[in-house]
Amino acid sequence: MKPAPFEYAAPRELDEALDVLGEHGDDARVLAGGQSLVRMMNARQVSPAVVVDINRVRGLDSLGVTGDNGSSTLRLGATVRQRTSELSGEVAAHAPLLAEAGAHVAHAPVRARGTVVGSVAFADPSAELPTALLALDGLVKVRSRAAERTVAADDFFTGPFATSLAPDEMVVGVEVPVTAGRTGSAFVELTRRHGDLPVCGAAVVVGVDDDGRVAHARVALCGADQRPARLPAVETAVVGADDPAAFTEAAARAADGLDPIPSCHGSADFRRHLARVLTARALRTALARATSPKETTDAR
Amino acid sequence: MSTVERPAAETRRWVGQSVARKEDPKLLTGRAGFIGDVVLPGMLHGAVLRSPHAHARIVSIDTSEAEALPGVVVVLTGATAAELVDPMPAFCAEPVEQRAIAVDRVRFPGEAVAAVAATDRYIAEDACARIRVEYEVLPALVDPVAAMDPSATRVHETLDSNVVFHRTLDWGDVDADLARAHTIVRSSARWHRMGAHPIETAGAVASWDPFSQSMTMWSNSNFINFLPWAFAGILRVSTNRLRMIPCTVGGSFGSKHLITKVVSITGALSKACGRPVQYLEDRADNVAANDNVGCDRIYDAELALAEDGEMLGLVLRIIDDYGAYFQFAHGQHGNAVAQPVGPYRIGSLRYDVSCVLTNKVQQGFFRGAGADPGNFILERLVDKAALEMGIDRVELRRRNFIRPDQFPYKIPTGNIYDSGDYEAVLDRALEIAGLDRWRAEQERLRAEGRYLGIGLASCQERSGYNASEWWSFYDEPPLPATSTPESCKIDVDAMGGVRATIGCPLWGNSPETVVGQVVAEEFGIDPSAVSVVYADSTIGAISAGPGGSRVTIMLSGATRGAARTVKDKMIRVAASAMEMDPEDVECVDGVFRAKGAPGTSMTMAEVGMKAHLFHDGTDEAESSGLVAVYTYDHPYFTPPSADRSDLGAFYPMVSHACHIPIVEVDPETGEVTLRAYYVVNDCGTVMNPALVEGQVVGGIVQGIGAALMEEYSYGATDGALETPTFREYLLPSMHEVPEIVLEHLETPSPFTTYGVKGVGEGGRLVAPTAIASAVDDALRPLGVWVDELPMTPERVVGMIADAQRRP
Repeated sequence: MKPAPFEYAAPRELDEALDVLGEHGDDARVLAGGQSLVRMMNARQVSPAVVVDINRVRGLDSLGVTGDNGSSTLRLGATVRQRTSELSGEVAAHAPLLAEAGAHVAHAPVRARGTVVGSVAFADPSAELPTALLALDGLVKVRSRAAERTVAADDFFTGPFATSLAPDEMVVGVEVPVTAGRTGSAFVELTRRHGDLPVCGAAVVVGVDDDGRVAHARVALCGADQRPARLPAVETAVVGADDPAAFTEAAARAADGLDPIPSCHGSADFRRHLARVLTARALRTALARATSPKETTDAR
Repeated sequence: MSTVERPAAETRRWVGQSVARKEDPKLLTGRAGFIGDVVLPGMLHGAVLRSPHAHARIVSIDTSEAEALPGVVVVLTGATAAELVDPMPAFCAEPVEQRAIAVDRVRFPGEAVAAVAATDRYIAEDACARIRVEYEVLPALVDPVAAMDPSATRVHETLDSNVVFHRTLDWGDVDADLARAHTIVRSSARWHRMGAHPIETAGAVASWDPFSQSMTMWSNSNFINFLPWAFAGILRVSTNRLRMIPCTVGGSFGSKHLITKVVSITGALSKACGRPVQYLEDRADNVAANDNVGCDRIYDAELALAEDGEMLGLVLRIIDDYGAYFQFAHGQHGNAVAQPVGPYRIGSLRYDVSCVLTNKVQQGFFRGAGADPGNFILERLVDKAALEMGIDRVELRRRNFIRPDQFPYKIPTGNIYDSGDYEAVLDRALEIAGLDRWRAEQERLRAEGRYLGIGLASCQERSGYNASEWWSFYDEPPLPATSTPESCKIDVDAMGGVRATIGCPLWGNSPETVVGQVVAEEFGIDPSAVSVVYADSTIGAISAGPGGSRVTIMLSGATRGAARTVKDKMIRVAASAMEMDPEDVECVDGVFRAKGAPGTSMTMAEVGMKAHLFHDGTDEAESSGLVAVYTYDHPYFTPPSADRSDLGAFYPMVSHACHIPIVEVDPETGEVTLRAYYVVNDCGTVMNPALVEGQVVGGIVQGIGAALMEEYSYGATDGALETPTFREYLLPSMHEVPEIVLEHLETPSPFTTYGVKGVGEGGRLVAPTAIASAVDDALRPLGVWVDELPMTPERVVGMIADAQRRP
């Protein structure tokens, strides 16, 4: 389990990193936390000619909120560690779903190295953070030497481990719009063991009106489709709901149209089953949290 | 938490104490000396190219590009390796040849097709990536039942059928017991392939000296002092020119008994280039090809009972998927019939076994070694009988336990159980579990729609194995019954220092600690004063080593024998010097003195110096020096009868345990969570409670893996290994393990030194079936019956759905 030979670049400026990507394209890989890339290189599942280590690049490790209360945005740079995000007061205040999902990623030592953006860019259809970003209507900030663009999470994930990133581009950060009003969120998952990638997981954000009914909802799943999946039909169906039975009914449609990737941890059918169960659970918990902000019961 | 309840008359000073492990400091500081730590001048590093196919003909291999890579010294294919080394030794009677590197045909995914030695491991793996192999893919045999079909492709052309071994053995009058039964409980069961996954993989360093035609081989094999001649055979080295040196072993769980493939590949590479070579499997090598997998069984079983619940007879029909080779013959079934009737007075047994070859890595030994699924099916049948007959599961067990006054007890197969008090173990387990409290909690949670379950299993752990089990079902066995010995050499130097040299390697257990305790017990000195070293294969310390829960039994016998031989001589030397009769001299606290009237005395050092340098010549039969090698043969084995109607006693030190796990099951997701775990264990005299606790708890953790997550999976059509890494093959972590409350009862073995029995496998022998019973109990309102492990979330949800569909 030794990697094939590769060149190693450790630039200090973003433009230098983008230069290497521009020159080598698909033959180069960006190294941030290394929690997936290094493993895959050791198994020779990937053998990049050049590894671009961005850990020394200035300015990529920022985490903060910009804008006023009307339209503020939570921003995380490409080298912000998962553990930093998970423990951040700003993430907890403005995107608690990201913190909750993040706490499910592997184990603390892995999160201390792994990055939020790295997980998003890796686009594992089973992973928690891409799905949380999708449920948060997040944006992906992309740069190449020539241009900068912002891609909606829903447009970024194109398939298993596949994104709309061009070979000369890298993800420099993610952004989460901060939602005003009474909202609640929840992330629930089934893993084979503590810290494993989920067999299936559900990320939900609901906003409630003054009567405690669902005004709007965003629902996303991991492990249930070829990519992190948004469930617009469920989102529509739960608007106006205020009781668990309605959620169960709406969640019965959670697997409609999905194409789960089977593995030894769960067949496609089992993943569809879990999609329904976990969506209902996440909806119930999210609503409970929205209507009673102190609600801390688990998402069972 | 571990508590020992011991009879009051306890006179031992060190045996039975939680003496600190001698092995810990070097292990905890990374200085123990594993294979990876062996570095020789000019040493090369090996890597192996493995087949991606389950079954294929090797059409051609082109190694030219690999050989051209700078740093590559030698590339071997199966054909070129065959010029240097011979096939694997096998204990089966059937013609199933296995080579460490396949020749012409690969028979399982991960089988070696080429090996490289290079100046470092990176280059060696780069070279593997440059070897071009052309395969002609053949149909893969994945399903053992399909492989049994006479028209199926044969794994080996030398056999008439993929059923490499089949035998039906009746012990007792099974048909009569079935005929007179009031109730016959039937159950099928599926026990999937699981594997031992020690932290350290198998490895060797070989150094071939072409001038003296001699080989020095460092390895983490267990059998360097048991079968060194077998290694010499595969390496084509004369036995007196092979020196095998043990290294500290980073765990085995049974997987490193032989590791002949690794030794052969490393030896062949060294012979090919005349330089030392290190080859240590990486994790991918180990998972795919180490022979570390255990049983893979389909059961069709019946338990016949009288109206009052008396168990009469047992029928076990078994299809066992052995994979592509049969190196250890049907040993896992020889093992299972040491205790097929568990702790119960079952009078007859029909054992019908078909060993089937398929395109998977061959079975080796993994903690439990064949008795693990045996315990699973038996306890499942007993629980099912309780349910069907309306008898409480605890009461049914009580009615059928072998009673304390019936020991030694001969079971139908001929094996002997030495001692036990099963009801006392059961009673104490029920007490510490606080069963009433958990039943109340179960009621409360059910009202909330939650499913709590209380498991129960009462199982045997046959211990002190005898390797004859590997071939005991053959009418004409390739080998006779073996005494499976263990040796210890003890020498006391001129300054009174005691050194023990043992033939067994450090396999992750605690031989140094045990030997220290026994020597300390015999001489009355402190265990920390005893030096323990490991013998290489030139010392003559015959040793079958750890395995089959034997090493503490055997080492304590060997060590006490050697210690007493030396001590007796020291008594004679001291008596001579003090002008006393040896009968009147004793050794107390390391001092030789007159019995009962301490006055004149000699220290260990004074006796040592006299014995070494100042022998007075008064006893002409006695020569100078204080050294003894004692070889302790298996303490109780009798040969099988010619017709196999009596297999003889071969595994007679029988430990026992009752496990009560508490689980909660989420019926929607299928998730099983362990809430608590209670164990009462009886392994005879507890040599060292801390060590026993480590063995039992570690075994339970592996049992949790067996119950809930561990399974080798192969593609149904292409036979590809679907669990090649620990992302797919799941091992339990600390997060999945509840607090385990453990107590011991002691019924000493009448057959062994100090009355010890083995305890190395018990946790894993009991936990899987106990947890299955807990899941059943939790889901009783839903009508679920567990007959397949591991209970993955998908299987649990599926079992609930199946139960709901049943009328």
